[in-house]
Amino acid sequence: FPPAFQAVPRNPIVLDLAYNSIEFPSLESRMKKDKKGFISRLWG
Amino acid sequence: AAAAAAPAVAIEDLFTSLNRHIQRSEFDLAVKVSDQVLSIAPGDEDAIRCKLVALIKNDSIDDALSAIQEFSKKSSIDFSFFKAYCLYRQNKLDEALESLKGQEGNSATMLLESQILFRLGKMDACVDVYQKLQKSKIDSLEINFVAGLVSAGRASEVQGTMDSL
Repeated sequence: FPPAFQAVPRNPIVLDLAYNSIEFPSLESRMKKDKKGFISRLWG
Repeated sequence: AAAAAAPAVAIEDLFTSLNRHIQRSEFDLAVKVSDQVLSIAPGDEDAIRCKLVALIKNDSIDDALSAIQEFSKKSSIDFSFFKAYCLYRQNKLDEALESLKGQEGNSATMLLESQILFRLGKMDACVDVYQKLQKSKIDSLEINFVAGLVSAGRASEVQGTMDSL
């Protein structure tokens, strides 16, 4: 006493790596342009 | 011309706020704004994708699946990968594998395929996919690779695999 430590087998861990590949599309070109672009469009 | 320009501006504004919600991981709000875009522009692919990804990231897998079903009726976008992932999350493994069939073998589909095979207990097939993915330099791939090898009764190959990664 005390008893010796023993290794215990367990199921290996699996990560959900596919989840990381689910990504939002880039919205850069869909957003509001800056004000300068708007003014220059008005006044050509 | 003024009438045609108005919704374009509104959509730009909506995408600006949608982008902000995504940056802040406010996925329920991202779903709401995607719906607002879709009410103006029903077939907008970016809005559709944003809605689906936001639902998945929000763990609303049931809602994501019904949205996929809805969009499939009126859009030609291929939702097979999203569908397969949602089915995998619901443990409908055969259906998930079915939905992946005919998809190009990119790293995302291969990762999902190997995870499905693991759950199905098809360990050798699972390890085969990880072997093909080895060159792709995917973060933490070794964790699943080792799990597959050990579960396949091929623990003796673990050391060699780790050295080669």
